[in-house]
Amino acid sequence: MRLVAAATVVVIGVARGQAQGPERTVWDGVFTDAQAARGATLYTENCALCHGPTLAGADGPPLTGVEFTSNWNSLTLGDLADRIRTAMPPDNPGKLSAQERADVIAHILNVAQFPAGVSELPRDTSALARIRVRASRP
Amino acid sequence: MKRELLRVLRWLIVPAVCASAVVVGVGLQGQAPAANGDWTTYGGDLGSHRYRPFDQITATNFKDLEVAWRFKTDALGARPEFNLQSTPLMVGGVLYTTAGTRRSVVALDAATGELLWVHRVDEGKRGDAAPRRLSGRGLAYWSDGREGRIVYVTPGYQMVALDAKTGQRVRTFGTAGMVDLKQNIDQAIDLETGEIGLHAAPLIANDVIIVGAAHLPGSVPKSRVHEKGFIRGYDVRTGKRLWIFHTIPEAGEFGFNTWEKDSASYTGNTGVWAQMSADPELGLVYLPVELPTGDYYGGHRPGNGLYGESLLALDIKTGKRRWHYQLVHHGVWDFDIPAAPILADITVNGRLIKAIAQPTKQNWLYVFDRATGQPVWPIEERPVPAGDVPGEWYSPTQPFVSKPPAYDLQGISQNDLIDFTPDLRAEAIKVASRYKLGPLFTPPPVSRWEGPLGLLMVPSSTGGTNWPGGALDPETNRFYGYSFRAPSVIGLVPGPKPDEFRYVNGQARDPGAPPVVPVIGAGSGEAGGPGVTVQGLPLLKPPYGTISAIDLNKGEIAWQVAHGETPDAIKNHPALRGLSIPRTGRANGRIGVLVTKTLVIAGEPGFGTTPSGQRGAMLRAYDKATGTEVGAVYMPAPQTGSPMTYMLNGRQYLVVPISGAGYSGEFIAFAVPQQAGAR
Repeated sequence: MRLVAAATVVVIGVARGQAQGPERTVWDGVFTDAQAARGATLYTENCALCHGPTLAGADGPPLTGVEFTSNWNSLTLGDLADRIRTAMPPDNPGKLSAQERADVIAHILNVAQFPAGVSELPRDTSALARIRVRASRP
Repeated sequence: MKRELLRVLRWLIVPAVCASAVVVGVGLQGQAPAANGDWTTYGGDLGSHRYRPFDQITATNFKDLEVAWRFKTDALGARPEFNLQSTPLMVGGVLYTTAGTRRSVVALDAATGELLWVHRVDEGKRGDAAPRRLSGRGLAYWSDGREGRIVYVTPGYQMVALDAKTGQRVRTFGTAGMVDLKQNIDQAIDLETGEIGLHAAPLIANDVIIVGAAHLPGSVPKSRVHEKGFIRGYDVRTGKRLWIFHTIPEAGEFGFNTWEKDSASYTGNTGVWAQMSADPELGLVYLPVELPTGDYYGGHRPGNGLYGESLLALDIKTGKRRWHYQLVHHGVWDFDIPAAPILADITVNGRLIKAIAQPTKQNWLYVFDRATGQPVWPIEERPVPAGDVPGEWYSPTQPFVSKPPAYDLQGISQNDLIDFTPDLRAEAIKVASRYKLGPLFTPPPVSRWEGPLGLLMVPSSTGGTNWPGGALDPETNRFYGYSFRAPSVIGLVPGPKPDEFRYVNGQARDPGAPPVVPVIGAGSGEAGGPGVTVQGLPLLKPPYGTISAIDLNKGEIAWQVAHGETPDAIKNHPALRGLSIPRTGRANGRIGVLVTKTLVIAGEPGFGTTPSGQRGAMLRAYDKATGTEVGAVYMPAPQTGSPMTYMLNGRQYLVVPISGAGYSGEFIAFAVPQQAGAR
C-alpha cells in the first residue's frame, strides 16, 4: 500500500514537473496550423453565432483585434481555457473537452496572427497557465 | 401530479438570509415611497434620464473617490458570471439588483453592501434552454405607499413578484408569486424549449407591468418559422394579463398588409429586448422594437414588415397603438432599436415640445413629439440601393434623419481607413479591397471568396450605440451617449438547411482549402477567414469610442470626446513607435453614462494598463458643459453595466457593475472619503 502511494507521489511529481519549465508567450509558436484548423471547425460549431464568423464580435465580444489582445494582455492561456470551461458556450458550459478548448484557443491565436509552431497547445490547464498573452511581441 | 409538485418545489424561493437580518439591517425602509435620494427604475426614472442632481461628487474630488463597499456575485449561480450588466435600484436605503448566472435577486444594505436577502429560482431544463441567460439588466420596483414590490423576469421567462422587505414571493400575484410568460401569449410555445425570454428589466407605469421579449441572436436562423416577440401588460397587483400587442400584426390588424406572401403568419422575433420608457401623464409606454426573423436576410419576409425596427407608443392601460415610426424598412443590418428612448421636454424655436429621443446602433438620434409621433426635425425618405441576393426583398427608400447630425461614423469609404503610417494605410486598403464598402443602408452581398467576402459594415451590427443607450440632463436638455466605431463583416452564405432558411451570415470558403465537416444548426461558411485588422490594429481611423453631448433644443452636437484610454495593443504597437497618437477611445464596449449636477460619468470598456501600472479600467468623469475630463478613478475591471447614483444619510454613492476577462462580476460603490471621526 505504502509503495503504491509513494509511486503515485512520484508520478504526480513528474507530471507537475513537465508542466513547469520556462514561461512562454503567445509569440513563441505555441500551436500548430493543424490544431488551429481543428479549432476553426469547433469555433464555427460552438462560438460563431455570438462572436461572429471572423471573430470580430457580434452579440458576444470580439475574439480578435485590439479589444481581445488588450483584454487578455498579461493573463495566461490557462485563464482563457478556464473562462471557456466555466462559461462557454453559454447554452452548455463545459461542453467542450480540454482538447477541444485548446484547439479553439489555437484558432483564436491563429486569427490574431500569433505565429504557429511545431508543437500543439497542451490541453492541460496548468500547462496553458505557463503561456502568457502579450499584446505586443516581448 | 407528483412531478408537478416537485417542479413547484424546485422553484421555491430560497431566502439565504433570515428575515431577522432585514430587521437588523436597514429595517423596513424597503416599503417607503421613493425619496429624492433614491434610484427607483432601471433608467433612473421612467423617462430613462439616468440623471440625478447630486453635487457631492464633483470635479474636484472625483479623483479621490474611495471604495465604500463592493459586492462579488460569484456565488449567485452554479458558476461565476463575467458579463454583469445590471443597473441596481436603490429605494429607502436598500439596493436591489439581479446578479449571477442564476439571475438571483439580492437586496443589499445600500450603505455597506451587506447582503440582506437573496431570492433564486432553479428552473431546471427550462433555465438551461433559455435564449437570454446570465444576470440580465435588472428589475423593477413598485409601491402603492403601503407595500413595496420587486418584479423581475427569470431566464426561463417567468415573471416573479417579491416583497421588497423580505424577498418572499407575493402569494397573491399570479400563481404563488409567479406568472409563466410562455403562456397566454397568443401562440403555442413549448414551456421548456420555446425560444423566448428576456434579459431587460420589466417596466412598471401606472400600476401596469410591461414585459418585453427576446430571442437568440438571429444571424443564423434555423428556420423562417419562429416564436413571435409579442408584448404584454400585466396588473401589478394581481399579475393578471391586461393586454397583448402583436408586434407582428394578425389578419385585420393595422400593418398586416406590410407583410407579403403570408409572411406574417410564420415570421417571428420582432420583440422588444431593449429597455422601454413611459410617460405616465400621457399614459403612454414607448417600445423600441427589434427586427423580424433573419438579421441579414429578409427574403422570407417580403415587405416593410411593421412593427420591425419601429418606435411604438402604446396606451399603458389598454395596449392600444397610439403612434409608431419605422426607423428602418425591411431591415437586413440587425440594427434593431437597441435602447430605451429618452423623454425630454424641449424648446425648439420657442415652441415647447414633449419630445422623445431614440439613440440607435446607426448613430442617429431620432427625435419625435412623444404625444403624436411627429418628427421634431424632418426625417426624409431617400432612395437607397438594392442588392442582388437571390430572393431578397429590398425597400426602395429608407428614412434619413436631417437633425441632429449623426454622432458617429455612418458607412465606410477608403477615407475612413487607418492612416497612422503610409505602410499601414496601404495595408488597410488591401485588406478592405476584399470587401464591399459603402454608405449606411448598403445591402449585404452573397459572400464570394474571390470577393466581395462581405459588407464591411460601419456602424457594426452592435452599434454605434447599443443597449445602455444614453442619458439626459433635464436642466439643459442635453443628451449624452456613448458610441463605438468598429466594422462588422456581413456576408451571406447558404443556410445549413436552405429550404428552411435560404441565406445566413457567414463567409465563403477558400475553394483550395481542405473540406470541413458541415455543422447543422451552427454557423455556416468558414470561420476565421482573413481578418479585418491591420497588423493587429483596427482597420478604421480613431476615435474608437466616443461620448457625444447633443443639445436637443437646437438639434446640434455640443461636444464629443474620445472615451477610454488608447488600448495597450495600439499604444505599444511596434509599427507606431515614435508616433504621437491622441487618445483613441475604446471600441466594442456597451457603455452607459450617468449625469449629475455637474458631471457626465462613465467607465472604460476593456482592460488596459492604468496610470498606476495595474491592470484594470478607469471610471472617468467629464465636465458636462464642456466634455473636459476632470477626474478618473481606478477599477479592477471594465464597466459592463451602467452606473447609477444615490444619496443616503447625506452621502452620495456611485455604483458601477464591472466584470471582464479573468474578472467575475462585481458591484463597486464609490463615495467621497469621509472625514476622520465622521464615520
